[in-house]
Amino acid sequence: MRSHTLRRLLQITTCLIILICADYSLYAQKSVTGKVLSAKDQVPLPGVTVNVAGTSSSVTTTIDGAFTITVKDGASLNFSMVGYLPKQIKVTSRNLGNIALEEDVKSLSSVVVVGYGTQKKVNLTGSIATIDMSEKEGQPITNASNALHGAPGLFVNLGNSQPGVDRATIRIRGMGTLNNNDPLVLVDGIEYSLDELNPADIESISVLKDASAAIYGSRAANGVILVTTKKGRGASKVDYGYYYGSQKPTAMPDAIWDPIVYMNLKNQALENIGKVHDYSDEEIAEYEQGMKTDPFTYPSSNWFDIALDNGQIQKHDLSFSGSADKYQYRLSLGFLDRSGIIIGPNDKEKKYSLGFNGSMNISKRLKVGLTLDGYYRFYNEPYYNSFWNYLTRTLPILTDTLPDGRYGNSWLRTPGRNNWENPRMIAETGFAKKVVSRFLGTVFADYQLPFNITYHAKFGADKYDGLLENFTPQVKTFNPKTGAAINWNSPSTAPRSRGIDYNDLNIHFYHTLDWNKTFAEDHNLNIMVGSSYDDFDSRSFSSGSMGYLDGTLTAISAGALPYEGYISGSSEQDVLISYFGRLNYDYKGKYLLEGTFRYDGSSRFANGKRWGVFPSVSAGWRIDKESFFHMANVFNLLKLRASYGQLGNQAVALYSYQNSINLGQDYSFGGGLSSGAAATAYSDPNTSWETTNTYNLGLDANLLGNRISFSIDAYKKYTIDILRAVNIPDQVGGLTGPSKNVGTMQNTGIELTLGYRNNIGSFNYSFNGNVAYNKNKVVDLNGEILYGFDTNLSTITEAGYPVNSYFIYDATGIFQSAEEVANSPFQSATTTAGDLKYRDINGDNKITSDDRVIISTSTQIPKYTFGFGLDLGYKGFSLNAFFQGVAGLKIYPTANLAFPFNNGADATWEWVTDSWTPDRPNARLPQVTPSNVDNDNYVASDFWLQDGSYLRLKNIQLSYALPSKWLSGAKIKRASVYVNAENYLTFSKYKDFDPESILNANSLYHYPMLKTISAGINVTF
Amino acid sequence: MKNIAIITGLLFVLIATGGCKKDLLETKPDYKYNEGNFWESEAAVGAALSGCYNPLTSDGLFGGDATPLWEETATPNAYNYSNAMGFNLIAEGRQQSSDGGIIPQRWHDSYVGIGRCNTFMANVDKVEMSEDTKTRMKGEVHFLRGLYYFMLENYYGDVPLILDPPNLSTQAALPRTPREEVVTQIIKDLDSAALVLPLKYSKGDIGRATKGAAMALKARILLYEASPLFNSSNDAAKWKAAADAAKAVMDLPGTGYGLYNDYRGLFLPQNENNKEVIFDVQYIFPGLGTSFDLIGKQYNTNAPVLGLAEAYDMNNGLPITDPASGYDPAKPYANRDPRLYGTIFFPGDTLMEVKVTNSRFAVTGFGMKKYTIYDKGPAPAGQTDLKSGQSETNFIILRYADILLMYAEALNEASGPSQEVYDALNAVRQRPSVNLPEIDPAVTPYTQAELREIIHHERRIELAGEGLYYNDIRRWKTAGTVLNAPINTYDGSQIEVRTFNPARDYFWPIPLTETDLNAALTQNEGY
Repeated sequence: MRSHTLRRLLQITTCLIILICADYSLYAQKSVTGKVLSAKDQVPLPGVTVNVAGTSSSVTTTIDGAFTITVKDGASLNFSMVGYLPKQIKVTSRNLGNIALEEDVKSLSSVVVVGYGTQKKVNLTGSIATIDMSEKEGQPITNASNALHGAPGLFVNLGNSQPGVDRATIRIRGMGTLNNNDPLVLVDGIEYSLDELNPADIESISVLKDASAAIYGSRAANGVILVTTKKGRGASKVDYGYYYGSQKPTAMPDAIWDPIVYMNLKNQALENIGKVHDYSDEEIAEYEQGMKTDPFTYPSSNWFDIALDNGQIQKHDLSFSGSADKYQYRLSLGFLDRSGIIIGPNDKEKKYSLGFNGSMNISKRLKVGLTLDGYYRFYNEPYYNSFWNYLTRTLPILTDTLPDGRYGNSWLRTPGRNNWENPRMIAETGFAKKVVSRFLGTVFADYQLPFNITYHAKFGADKYDGLLENFTPQVKTFNPKTGAAINWNSPSTAPRSRGIDYNDLNIHFYHTLDWNKTFAEDHNLNIMVGSSYDDFDSRSFSSGSMGYLDGTLTAISAGALPYEGYISGSSEQDVLISYFGRLNYDYKGKYLLEGTFRYDGSSRFANGKRWGVFPSVSAGWRIDKESFFHMANVFNLLKLRASYGQLGNQAVALYSYQNSINLGQDYSFGGGLSSGAAATAYSDPNTSWETTNTYNLGLDANLLGNRISFSIDAYKKYTIDILRAVNIPDQVGGLTGPSKNVGTMQNTGIELTLGYRNNIGSFNYSFNGNVAYNKNKVVDLNGEILYGFDTNLSTITEAGYPVNSYFIYDATGIFQSAEEVANSPFQSATTTAGDLKYRDINGDNKITSDDRVIISTSTQIPKYTFGFGLDLGYKGFSLNAFFQGVAGLKIYPTANLAFPFNNGADATWEWVTDSWTPDRPNARLPQVTPSNVDNDNYVASDFWLQDGSYLRLKNIQLSYALPSKWLSGAKIKRASVYVNAENYLTFSKYKDFDPESILNANSLYHYPMLKTISAGINVTF
Repeated sequence: MKNIAIITGLLFVLIATGGCKKDLLETKPDYKYNEGNFWESEAAVGAALSGCYNPLTSDGLFGGDATPLWEETATPNAYNYSNAMGFNLIAEGRQQSSDGGIIPQRWHDSYVGIGRCNTFMANVDKVEMSEDTKTRMKGEVHFLRGLYYFMLENYYGDVPLILDPPNLSTQAALPRTPREEVVTQIIKDLDSAALVLPLKYSKGDIGRATKGAAMALKARILLYEASPLFNSSNDAAKWKAAADAAKAVMDLPGTGYGLYNDYRGLFLPQNENNKEVIFDVQYIFPGLGTSFDLIGKQYNTNAPVLGLAEAYDMNNGLPITDPASGYDPAKPYANRDPRLYGTIFFPGDTLMEVKVTNSRFAVTGFGMKKYTIYDKGPAPAGQTDLKSGQSETNFIILRYADILLMYAEALNEASGPSQEVYDALNAVRQRPSVNLPEIDPAVTPYTQAELREIIHHERRIELAGEGLYYNDIRRWKTAGTVLNAPINTYDGSQIEVRTFNPARDYFWPIPLTETDLNAALTQNEGY
């Protein structure tokens, strides 16, 4: 029996060996030798992989380029090495002699998308970052903006991961304005949104960071992002991809969920400021006793466990593509299905995408094409959009549900908590749903004119239809002890329903004439001129009703009464007319020169202030092409670049140049509402463009057979005439201040990128890293100082400091005794031992607002951003890890759970273990007090300022490409499987929440960052 | 040649794309007016006038959720658990120029009102319409501007006096105008208003400022001017002027002013615009509501404190501290001044047919009943649980009882006790639903000082919960005493000890953002 099994095993093993070695066993074997050289300079190439075609048999060349390998008759050999083009040779003799490999100049000759055209990468004179989306394949990117994390010079911050609204904030080279700092995004040359594009349809992204953006004139100051969608390439094929993942928060605050600990600490906090206890000793005793028998009346609710769940994500992508001489096409379909981490039906997202890209050569001269990017997506969220506020404000003494499932309340009377927001109730009842359908359709034509002139015209229509529907049910909570109902919202206005429709149509048209000419072989000239027209029309209307019988029908017309507050409508139009041109000249590809201009007219400004000119000039020098340069064998590329340009920013509110009179300033007479009108803002008719002068100096180098690539850029962005809502004293009619061209801001910085790739035999590895430093300084604000500008924090924007620097008290420690309080500058009448002590800056022996100090750190832009990736590949396996982070940033978390007992909320455990008491004089935190009624410890001070730097393992992916011979039977060209982990490791000093997600919010009550573990497949037929 | 023509033609097309369509850049919103096309119709003027009234309903003045009710919490009458609008900081004497809440908001909203009034005055004559209507409207705007400036000078002292439409270049750096000059302008505005405003309005216009409103506001301002805070030399002529102004309202024929019989009902929406109301802020839901009911019944952030409950006399007119009063500590709320029952919920009271327990009003045990629609009986249908912004009870700024008490006080100060003083006082005390025993000089001849105490006490009781007591204790300069004291819950447990610094706290600080933005603005003493 035993020997039988052994024999079977031996047979199977033999069969397997035969299978694997079939190629060798069936044919005669022979040994072949040869030597691999570089074609350019005939030097031996060590480390070249020599592989017998169709097998896994490989060797590597020695230091002198030589190799020996055993092959069968008629076999072919594949030679491959990083930096060189692969080569295949049929074995014709036992000594193949010298085999020359051509340098792979693809990385050099590859083409980069620039404004209104493309440019060879080697000829670039500007600073342009490119993202190849094939490197992001398999990553659970739900919004295209999230593909930009870690790109050099970009600060990409994802404030939250909520399904449907997980859009990252993108800042290119710091903040250049006090207005909108979002870059301009164009998809295939037409302005569009990163929100409305399936990331799987994107081929590459170019980020124009310096004067190269100037061709986009008045919208270019924040940088320009050019998205290129995928086209058909090569033989017709079908691609299918799928992944499934599970998501949970990266970090949540360590809230106290023990009711007894909570009640005692709250009482202690009140006692510390001389107030009566919220919970009597009898109540606490009763609670402690009751917990043993009745978890409904005496709960210890961990609300993060109750109201949060694991999220799920899955995505399907299917595409058909191909090309031939006269046409190319690609048709794609995508489906994303996500459910978020909030329990209940209201945290979901679905996205359906349809993409088409096709073109055809009608004649020798005429080529026409069509692209379509269609998106239909919707997402749900709890109607009470303060869910996260409620979740971080809830308490362990709040009953989840009663035994019969009704939403719970608390029998304990907690002052300040009058109407309990039961997070489960908020999550499960009612809904808010946004449905977006958006289509970008473009048609284009290229016509070849004589004299090597090409006419190119493109027309794009971008139709956006967004429907927001929400339904507010009438909900109640129930006292777990008495069963008494408490209306959470008013029965007189709920249930109610609202619908808002946004209906936008943006029309874009541009056309160009492009002339290419080479003179006397060495002088290459390219001139492009064009004009464009952009029209942005947006309309919206809103309606709503109440008087619903019950919660079953939710449509507006199912309600009996109109809800007046919900009825409104508007329409706006914004027009931009532009003329632009570009001239490129190079001499032998050695000296490169580029100049662009743009002349823009915008409807956002008053007549007479509408038109602006935005020129740029840049130059490059290929040092490696110079005859005097003697290191050509080391450097494959050495290029010096310089650019200067003027970029505009027109990001002011529409119609803001004229004083508008707003309706809605109503009053009531005789029991009826009387429509009222008044100006609420002061306007300045002289506002015009902001202008950013951008300077860039860069050096690119590729070394050692393009194994090493290196780039350094130094830049300065100097923005003048910043349009800024000036704060004006209330005595001027209490009006909001006008936008005026008054500010000057400067960003200077350095960006470094380094790449290295190589192989050891079949083992390929590469490293890509970048670090960017940005220094922001407000140069001039016309003598004015902005307080708390664009943030709810105590910040100051003042000449000489970074925008939105903290302007706060300097906390020097914790008072240890009443005596110390008495001997220190006066803070407030209630200051006691255990409170924070502040520095008396002006020495007047009292702490007043004059004692605030400026902390020279912007609240919004880090000094350093960095990203680095490591890719390892061995045969079919590859492991890609990508890290990303920021440094030099302070965050100031406030309110619920960031501060104890904020407005009746809970506190975190650290207040139990590490707050000051006479017995814990060295505690980190001051004595525990209810933060919103305590005036001593929670005035804005540097005590609460935290380091927001972090390093994150953004993504790590292990994938395996199945060997082609396994697939050929199934007519599968390519197949791979992978597992992926996103946001799984974060290194930061800040622990209460995710440091990335707190940056935009300054509070802990919003959708947290999520980490995702996923697995998927990609198949090509 | 043909090719060159084509290319030239295309270049021309490139330019023509925008070139000949420059008016394409002329876009206009279709949903809002701008200054150029607004002042063209009588309807627009009417809307602009409503826009002048609208700031009355703002957070900083008499609206928001419950700002005028929270104002009471800065007095010894009530406690603001959540420090809503920052009033508890003021009660505790801890307000700072950097505070948010009422201090910057009142400044802001008053100037919003002033700016709109000034804009109205500068533009109204551009529109062709009935001169009578125009004159009346100007009168309304004068009244409103006077009211807004009163809300500034009374709390902040000197404030920039601006009478022209908002203009950044001429107004942004103006310094504070001496308070006396501001008051002079207010009186001038109110006199102009009184001259042209009607005594009454027909149905659709009820709520607009009347002649009586302008005269009554003038009486209040003159009373404040005569009070110790502003009349440090105790100039009797100022008291006389105040008494005369109050008397002018009482004697104004054709107004129909009088005391409303039902003290509790005076503050219910169904009795709005009754004969006692001289000027109120008109609320309506939906559209323009407050949260008075939510705050009073549920949030309890204007919770009356024990001191107020104890201040009510017995219904025999004797204070509870008087051994002869019949006060029974075991039944503390029995047989008291009926206005107690019309003003506060207390333990043992009934709310919507349910007995009020000690913990029903968690903050102090008491709830503020005045300015809620809730009482012993069931709530009006569909209004059992009014939420944020759903209350529509008008907030009364000036009522006839106040005029009577102003008159009594001013006359007593100007010329000592007299029958007129007693008559005015007794009229208030003997409103049918109150019916307290008459204060009869024939029984007890009070001195001027004794009568002053009685009038002060009467104001505290009659006007409790209406936000007026804060200004009374300021102008009497008694805040230094009554606000340096503990406040207690229904069972006597201490909530907090308040402090008041007489050298500083009689005026609010100029908001820090304002002094930051306009260096010419000086700060008040002590901030």
